[in-house]
Order: sequence, then structure tokens, then C-alpha cells
Amino acid sequence: MGSPEPLEKDSVERTPSQGTRDATEPRIGVFVCHCGSNIAGVVDCVKVRDAAEKLPGVVVARDNKYTCSDLGQEEILKAIKEGDVNRVVIASCSPRLHEPTFRACIQRAGLNPYVLHMVNIREQCSWVHAHEKENATQKAIDLVRMGVSKAARLEPLEAREVPVERAALVVGGGVTGIQSALDLANMGFKVYLVESKPSIGGVMAQLDKTFPTGDCAICILAPKMVELSRNPNIELLSYSEVEEVKGYIGNYDVKVRRKARFVHEDKCVGCGVCTDVCPVKVDNEFDMGFAKRKAIYVPFPQAVPLKYTVDKENCLHFKKGKCQLCVKACTNKAIDHKMEDEVLDFKVGTIIVATGSETYVPMRKGVYKYWEYENVISALELERLLNASGPTGGHLIRPSDKATPKRVAFIQCVGSRNKKIGNNYCSRVCCMYAIKNAQIIKEHEPDTEIAVYYNDIRAFGKGFEELYHRVREEYGVEFFRGRPAKLSEDSATKSITIRAEETLLNKITEREFDLVVLSTGLVPSEGSKRIGKILSITTSPDGFFMEAHPKLRPVDTAADGVFVAGCAQAPKDIPDSVAQAKAAASSAAALMLTGKVRIEPLTVAIDEDLCVGCGLCAELCPYGAPELYESEKGGTKARIIEALCHGCGTCAASCPQKALTAKQFTDEQINSEIVAALTPICGAQKPPQKKNAETEV
Amino acid sequence: MAEAKEPNPEFTRKVVEAGGKTVNLCFQCGTCTGSCPSGRQTAFRVRKVVRRAQLGFEEDVLPSDDLWLCTTCYTCYERCPRGVEIVDIIMALRNMAVRKGYMAEPHRKVAELISKTGHLVSLRDEDKALRKKLGLLETPPTVFSDPKALEEVKKISALCGFDKLVTGGK
Repeated sequence: MGSPEPLEKDSVERTPSQGTRDATEPRIGVFVCHCGSNIAGVVDCVKVRDAAEKLPGVVVARDNKYTCSDLGQEEILKAIKEGDVNRVVIASCSPRLHEPTFRACIQRAGLNPYVLHMVNIREQCSWVHAHEKENATQKAIDLVRMGVSKAARLEPLEAREVPVERAALVVGGGVTGIQSALDLANMGFKVYLVESKPSIGGVMAQLDKTFPTGDCAICILAPKMVELSRNPNIELLSYSEVEEVKGYIGNYDVKVRRKARFVHEDKCVGCGVCTDVCPVKVDNEFDMGFAKRKAIYVPFPQAVPLKYTVDKENCLHFKKGKCQLCVKACTNKAIDHKMEDEVLDFKVGTIIVATGSETYVPMRKGVYKYWEYENVISALELERLLNASGPTGGHLIRPSDKATPKRVAFIQCVGSRNKKIGNNYCSRVCCMYAIKNAQIIKEHEPDTEIAVYYNDIRAFGKGFEELYHRVREEYGVEFFRGRPAKLSEDSATKSITIRAEETLLNKITEREFDLVVLSTGLVPSEGSKRIGKILSITTSPDGFFMEAHPKLRPVDTAADGVFVAGCAQAPKDIPDSVAQAKAAASSAAALMLTGKVRIEPLTVAIDEDLCVGCGLCAELCPYGAPELYESEKGGTKARIIEALCHGCGTCAASCPQKALTAKQFTDEQINSEIVAALTPICGAQKPPQKKNAETEV
Repeated sequence: MAEAKEPNPEFTRKVVEAGGKTVNLCFQCGTCTGSCPSGRQTAFRVRKVVRRAQLGFEEDVLPSDDLWLCTTCYTCYERCPRGVEIVDIIMALRNMAVRKGYMAEPHRKVAELISKTGHLVSLRDEDKALRKKLGLLETPPTVFSDPKALEEVKKISALCGFDKLVTGGK
């Protein structure tokens, strides 16, 4: 992401000015924490305090049992006031734990919250050197000396707040996107839902029943789809693609391409007269090619919006310049072959990415012969064949002769847990959908012989183990532990023989089936790859979007204000997807409700005079914060969009001109720490004389 | 060796060091056994060999005749979904077995031929006749036709201990 313009001065509300005491010569207070016995059990904290006391610039040094406690904080406040302290060093735990606590504390004492430096003598000292007390104490002293040296060079910084637009963009109209959009809309926020296909519904709309309860998928999804289309807060942009997103948290400018469907949505009433007269028949993608559709179509009867779409690839008007039968048939004059793509611009404050996953497509030359043998089908194909509104009305047939299969095999872990194809992960849904489908087949045709070739059965969710139990007990589905090694086809009957070892018996078996279903796993969707690039959000090695923290920030991304939910984050089932959808909606709402967001001032500053506009920073930045522009003074220059900058310092470290400075990690500050580390205790450096108090603000 | 009573992680580590670094990845799906052409004719179950190596059942795996039934055709290696380098594991186990004095008789005989003739495959009268018919030298210009070179091969074989390894010191 880039931004059309840097933060406007007047769009930024500055927090009340803090820190009236900072601008003088450093007077440093050092507070050494015992953390009960966590630190003091190993490190001699009194000795550390005594050493700190002698360091140049230090006016107060204290040690406390618990510095973070109310008592400990009171002591800091008192010391700051009594000793006229203007820089604070706290030697305790990781700043990830208590930096916010101590920043707030020194702010209460009237200091700028950023003239604080934390030295980690717990994780980096007492915990890792528990058996070397003396060395640990010496290391703590060294670390404090480095910290004091840096603290002397700290500059006050100002946190800023930017407003948050009270509108959200939801990308993807599967069950996850639908749920997120509904939740946000019901909280009163404006929502733009962008779906690339002609209808929302996603993969769930294609499924037959859902595990473990057996609810019909479309029966529970369709009411939500309709509710969404009727919600006045939601603008449904189906058959559309997000083309560009610029800006930063709270202020995203979005460009969406509305692909021409050659039918005016406002005029089409979904009567279907057009499709009746259309002479073109092509495979229906929604039915996995088991049924036909026309060149003007809705993908399935419950489609939302129920608006027809002309398939440009196959329409005779576009192919041969004639036909127009649909145009003549449409009484509302909704069809317009001259329609063009439209680009829509709007502004949102938050974004939820719910671009889902796709099912794995077996390799062309793979041993399971998906592309060669007609009667080897994928799980999603089976879902359509079992679906009452599917191409066979829910009657299971095998593709070669349309006969009812009497012997059905499921092969598990196809495209999952497979290092050879690079999908190391478990897809989480295949065990349960195979078990569920085995049950449905048994319900339709009780005398069908069913074998599930599995490796491990993962029935980990609520009600899953019970379903697994039921198909064994009540339906007699056979579970065969072994991964098939080879499939071969009888050229006359088209039946498939599976060779596999029954690993629990060490027995190599060969057995014939009428139909083989590959339990294909889930892979990141094409839509995810596209939106990932547009939003600069990172992926895990498996290709799914990476959450900000695997446990505690499961729907946040590294880009502030952008959330991820559902199968775009990792393979998951419907309940988990819906739960994440709600989590993402609540996280996005929290930002929009307050209407403003605080931006950390630990960003990168640029010296325009030094910048030569080489663009290396823009290329390396993982957040898209630097952008190049033509300077009024002439020449290309870079500038930093502060709201996007995370202060990681990658650009500052790489700038050949040293034009970039990471605030609170300046070269001078880091060098002073290195020098302090290498300087014997008594000969520590002198604190710097302040040249200009205004430089960094 | 008596049958192993309990897993031995130390032996697993040795297998890893000897070249079977992927042994711990195996999740016992049986794709290897189902693919194995040798296993179709014999009681050889390559999956069990890998499992024994994985758990460190040294006494079960090293003296076993199974170890020598693999033809190293690499079908299992190609099809394994976990990327377990099965043939490398078998090779590592065979090397360890030979050092302990276990070796299948046919393998031992072939290895002995190297020390004796400098070749794995001997030169029979039929081969000589065929070569002559094809217009080639009856005896190829290798160790077969160079007694001095054969002496050198024997010397190397003795010096590096190959002789002893193959004959078990006999």
C-alpha cells in the first residue's frame, strides 16, 4: 500500500503536550527490580543499583521488590520529583510486558512517556543464567550501563491520533465475509462487501450437509445471504474485484472494479426468461461440471443477488456478433451487451479479508489418477452429487456409466500432510466431511460398501468424535488404516482397484471399488494471493495469511486496521470460520467505535536534504510506509507515511545516504550502547551535551 | 542378538547420523509397503524396517534378513508423502549391520568378488565368446587383463579393511 498523500497536518490531533522538564542536561533515574525472586534470586540487585549510582548522569538509583506494583510506581514518582529526574531507566522484565505501565507512570510525573528506557535483566539475565549468579550480576551491570548511556540520548516524542472512518470493507462473500459484514452492519457501521463471483455464498453454498449435525448447508446459509442483501448498511458489490487500496489505519482509499455483467442490476428481476431462450450450453462451475448452464445465468437458484450475468467467453453476441435472443426476451430491458466495467472509489476505516480457500486439485500425473480415471472424483464433486438441488437431485451416481456405485472408497489426506507437494499442514475438514459423506451415502443406499483409507482420524471438534462413533456403530463404515499406493482401472467396467497396505496387519491388499473419492485438502485461494499483494499483508510458509499473534491476536494482521478471518488465515470448518468472522468484526468495530486511533511515535524520520530518491527504502519496507514523490525543490525524494510505519528500522539501516533515522534507535543511541558495553565500568562515557532540544520532535 | 525389549533413542540417533536423517518424519501410512515390488513377492515390509529404525529397535532390525530384500528401486522413496528418504535409511542400516557382522549371503558373495577379481560381475566364457563375436577384445582392458592392477585392488581392499568386513575376519 502507498498513500496518495502524507498525513495532513490538520487531520492529526496531537495529544496534549507533555514533558516540560526534558530539555535540559540528562538527570537519569535508575530503578532496579527484584521481581520477587525472579531476578533477585540470581542477580545481586543491590550491587547493580550501587554500580548504576556511579554512572555519569545518574542522579537517583533505587532497587524495589516489585517496581511495577503501586508501591514501586509511587517510588518512581517520588524520585522523579525529588531528584528532578528527566530520563528514566528501569531494569526489570521485557518491555513487551511493562513498557506501557512505566510510560504511563512517568507521564504521571510530568515527563514525556518516551524518555524511558527498559533494560531486560530477567529474560535476558536471571532466567537464562540461573546457574551463574556472579556472571549474571555482571551482565546486569553491563546492560544497565548500556541502558543509561542510551537514556542520556533519548528525545521526547509525541504520540498522535488519527480519525477512523466509520465504514468497513469486507473482501470475500463466503460464510465468513457474510457473517463479518452482518455483524458490523448490525452495529450500525457502513459495510462494503466485495465478492468476485456473480453471487455470494462461497464454498459453503456448494456443500450438501454440514458435519457433525447434518444441517443442510444452503438451508442455513441462504437466510443469511438474503438478510445481507436486505441490510441497508451493506453495499453488496458482487462480481467485483478490489483493485487498489491506499492509505493507512482508519483512512483507506479503496478502488473496486465492478466487472460488467451485461445485465443492469437495478432492472433485472431474476425472472429467468433470458436463460430459457439462450441457446448456449456450457459446464456449470458451481456443479463442478456435472450439469450445464446457459451463457446468461445465475450460478445457483438461491444466488444473492438474484441477478443474471452474461458469460462473455461463451455468449454468441460476443463470439460471433449475433443472437441477442435474451435481449429480445427481457421485458425489463435489463440486458445490455455494451455495458462496461465501472470503477468505484470509497473510503473505509477498517478492512476484513475473508477471501477463503480453494480445494486442492490433484496433480495431472499423480498416482491417484484423478485426471485419467472417470470414476475417481474429488470431495467437492461428491458434495454436488449428493446435494438434493445438485445435478442428480441427490442421487449418487458414478461418472462413467451413471450407475449407482455399490462400493465406494474415500482416500484421505490428498493434498494435505504431504511434504512432496509442499502442503505440510492438515486441512482440518477432510476427516469429518468424509465421515459425514459416508453416512449420507449409507442413508441413501444402505447396502453400499464403504471403506475410508485413512492415516489418522482427526475428530477433534464438538460432536465430531460422536459422529465418527456413529458411522462405525450404526452404519458399519469400514476404516482401513493405510494410504493407497496405487490405483488401476478395469478398462471394461471402469472400476478402480486400490492397492494399499493395511498397516495394522502388515497386509498388502488389492480391492475393487465402483467409485473412489479423493478427500482433497484446502489451499490458499487465488483471491487471497491478489488481495495479499494489494494490502501488503504477510503469509505463513503454508501460503495462508499470517495472524499478528498465533494465540492472542488471531484475527489481526501486521497491517494495522486490516483483519483476517476464515479459511484465508488457515483451513478451518464452518463454526470456526464464523467465530473468526465475529472476532474480526468486533476488532474492526472497536477501532471504529472510538473513532480515532493512537499512532506510536516510534517511527522513522527522514532528512530530505540527504535523500537522493534511490527508492531502496520503499522497496525494502514490509509495510509500504516510504513513498517516492517529486519534490518542489526538484528531484525525487522519499517520505514516510507515519501511520504505516512500524519503526522496524529496515529502511534506516539500509539507506546509503543515512537520510533515515529510526526514532529511539538512532545511530548515535545505538553506538553509545555499544561503546558503553565495551567500556570498563569506571571509565564510562560522559553524557552528551544537548545541541538542540527541538531536533527530534 | 536377542529381540529388542524397549525403544533405544541412541540407535535412532546413529541411524540419523549414518544418513537416515528423515527417519523421524515417517507416520506409518504404508504407501511404501503398498508400492514395494519386493514386498509383493516376499514377506518384506519396508514400513516395518523404517518403524524399527525410528524407535531404535536395533536388535530387531540389524540381524534381520528383511534388510537385504530391498532392491533399491526407489519407488517408495518417490511416492512417500512425508519425504522420508527410505532407501538412504536402508543403506545406512545395511552399513551398520555389516559392521556388526550381519550380511545376507548373496550380498557377501558379490562383495567378495570385488576383492578377488576387482569386479562385481565375473567374466564367464560365454561373455568372452560374445565379446569376440562383437569384435571386441575377449578380455576387457580393465583389472581383468591387468594382474598388476588386481594386486593393487587386493592391497587396497586389505588395507582399508574391506576384506575383513566382507569375510567377517575369516
